[in-house]
Amino acid sequence: MLYSLCSAAGAVLSVAIAVLAAGAVIAVVILHFVRKKQGKGGCGCDCAHCGGCCHLHKKEEKE
Amino acid sequence: MLQFALAGNPNSGKTTLFNALTGSTAHVGNWPGVTVDKREGVYKKLNSPVAVVDLPGIYSLSPYSPEEVIARNFILDEKPDCVIDVVDATNLERNLYLTTQLLEIDVPVVVALNMIDAVKKSGDTIDAKKLEQALGVPVVPISALKNEGIAQLMERAYAASAKKRQGASVLSESSLAHVIDDIRIALKGKEVKDPLFHAVKLVEGDEIEVKNHPAEAKMAQEFKAQHKDDVFGGDFEAKAADARYKYITAHFSSALHRSAKKQGMSRSDKADRVLTHRIWGIPIFIVILFFMFHFTFGEDLFYLNTIVGWFNGGEGFCFDVATGSDVLDAFVAVFFSSAGISTPGAILFNLTGFVTDQIGALIETGLDAAAVYPWAKGLLFDGIWGGVSSVISFVPQILFMFLILSILEDTGYMARVAFILDRAFRKFGLTGRAFIPMVMGFGCSVPAAINTRTLSDDKERIMTTRVIPFFTCGAKAPILAAICGALASAYTGVNADLIVFLLYLFGMAMAVIMVAFMRQTSMRGEVAPFIMELPAYHLPRFSNLMAHLWDKLKHYIKKAFTIILASCVVIWFLSNFSWSWQMVPMEESILYNIGSFVQWVCTPMGFGLQLGRFGWVFVVAAVTGLIAKENVVSTFYILAAAIGAVIPAWDDGESGIGAVLALMDATGITWQALIAFTVFNMLTIPCFAAAATVKAETPKGKFKNTVGFWMLTSYVTASLVYVVLSWWWTAFIVAAVLALVIAYFALRNRGKINLFGKRKGTGAALRQ
Repeated sequence: MLYSLCSAAGAVLSVAIAVLAAGAVIAVVILHFVRKKQGKGGCGCDCAHCGGCCHLHKKEEKE
Repeated sequence: MLQFALAGNPNSGKTTLFNALTGSTAHVGNWPGVTVDKREGVYKKLNSPVAVVDLPGIYSLSPYSPEEVIARNFILDEKPDCVIDVVDATNLERNLYLTTQLLEIDVPVVVALNMIDAVKKSGDTIDAKKLEQALGVPVVPISALKNEGIAQLMERAYAASAKKRQGASVLSESSLAHVIDDIRIALKGKEVKDPLFHAVKLVEGDEIEVKNHPAEAKMAQEFKAQHKDDVFGGDFEAKAADARYKYITAHFSSALHRSAKKQGMSRSDKADRVLTHRIWGIPIFIVILFFMFHFTFGEDLFYLNTIVGWFNGGEGFCFDVATGSDVLDAFVAVFFSSAGISTPGAILFNLTGFVTDQIGALIETGLDAAAVYPWAKGLLFDGIWGGVSSVISFVPQILFMFLILSILEDTGYMARVAFILDRAFRKFGLTGRAFIPMVMGFGCSVPAAINTRTLSDDKERIMTTRVIPFFTCGAKAPILAAICGALASAYTGVNADLIVFLLYLFGMAMAVIMVAFMRQTSMRGEVAPFIMELPAYHLPRFSNLMAHLWDKLKHYIKKAFTIILASCVVIWFLSNFSWSWQMVPMEESILYNIGSFVQWVCTPMGFGLQLGRFGWVFVVAAVTGLIAKENVVSTFYILAAAIGAVIPAWDDGESGIGAVLALMDATGITWQALIAFTVFNMLTIPCFAAAATVKAETPKGKFKNTVGFWMLTSYVTASLVYVVLSWWWTAFIVAAVLALVIAYFALRNRGKINLFGKRKGTGAALRQ
């Protein structure tokens, strides 16, 4: 009984790990595209040097 | 919401004031040209919130540099409610030159006399009231650094913003007054905004104005034709500048009272006599760099253990402590081991390794106790934790290096390095100014590429952007530390931090060589003159240093838990699953298939077909580095686990040293190939973020060439490094070919030979 419970918990945890890992990858990809759409994704650093949005300005200037 | 703009000369303290007003942590550096784009924040301490815009530093409103265009367009087009002109009070007369131009625009202006504390310290005084009367706009003495006078400044700016202000020109007393007034009336008749400003610029011959107002430009032209003089000829811009300075001297300088006690050289001058010495300047810089790397990556502080070993038959005075308790031994080894007394960087790295080790052990125990499936344990422990922790464990060490760089930057030394390197750089086709973005490349290529905007010459800008990735960034440092550390472990007498230092120097040398090569081929032309204001030395500001470090820390942590975590999951999946989504041994995995398909390409660099069935391992590691360079070390761990390589028991699971040693044993890769691998990673396409930034910063159509440049340079150089290190005599062949190339360029520049047809530009770059 205890063995079955443990293995069931192990199976659930294993699936949870896989789902979370896959979810993390999908979330990172979506976040990247969302930020790019907001004009922040081109740089990716989002640091204080440029606030992550300088490339949007640059694009505007080029246009 | 009201909008105030901060304008002023470079290095006058605009960003320091911006940070003080808005609570931001924007990058502040003790050199001119740190801010290259406008930045916005909010000041909330008035009756209503005020938007504050930090503009790049400019010397005038003439559109000569991108920064001047940005600042000018913002003030003219966006019409802020008030322009706060940040004036460096220690250089009053020169800074007021821009003020005289700002006053010509129909916008409320308030002058912030910044660094007033430094003026007082030097014994000088500035009569702000007298200056206010002379200028006709409010003048407020402040110290942005010490947060003094800022509230009063904002209150006066707030009051000024409520009143309309007509532009006024100091040129009204000059010989240009008549024509300026005529053009102003003509422009006003056409309902042009800021007619006075445009009129003055038309008389100065401003290209944008001439294009926009051709009829009025003709008026200016006719006036110029009739009023040429012996001093300025037809150069009315110079005439206007002369008139401005004369007015400043006559009307504003009396507000400044210089102290009589100031005599002889200042401390800054005395320090400059040594640090910017024409002979010793560069060697001093190299020594400082060496100690920076030694303190960051060295394991034997000041090589004390090694030196004692020389006099003691190879036996140093340090040893591995064995108390019987693994945890205690590991903790003592953080500070002291048989390698020597740890340097500060090594202590930080060991401490983080110690902590992540304990966390890793807990995770492993927990996963075993929970009886998760082996693949789930592999995914979480080898894949995710192995990858993410190997990045995190390097963070404190890399932050320590940034701390030293920030100190050098904040004291004003880095601006001097640009100055002392100018003479050497000029011979290769760059100005010393290009050194500033290059040295920023030691931190991250992204802000470095953006900073190239401060370079006035387009060709210089493209060349600098291309070679910035050669300045090993913080993300590449772990690759160097792991591989050099493994080589030091595998071969006696090899010094890890010395190889790291030499590789950093190699990257810098490659940057200079490739710039010289571009100057002789695709980027021919003369080197622009280099003028840079050297800031005074001062003690680094704690808040600045912490802001820099916080900025970097956020960047690393964010990266570790987003793109690196995702990359680790993907790499683990690809190295453990087949095309039919079945969990399979490594030899049948997707990654193996892809890597095997392209591994022959890496054969000239020593890590391709030579490694047999493991040839794909280092190819994959290099490819994952394109996403983020931090991935390389984490990939070593994932792949070492995937191919069943035995990682030494002493390895902390993060440094990458054990993983590289395990891969050396399992794949048979030689040390020469490992060095070539490092060189390839140093010079090849940087991470996606940096490549995207370079794309945004380079003119249209040049990015493809830039990518080609990175790929070709890294491939050829790494191949040459592998060949020369493997067969020493080939060095003579390489040297002979290089000598032939140099001789060809030298002869071509003298006009004695030309194998490829018509010459473009001149050979002035080399001859200088």
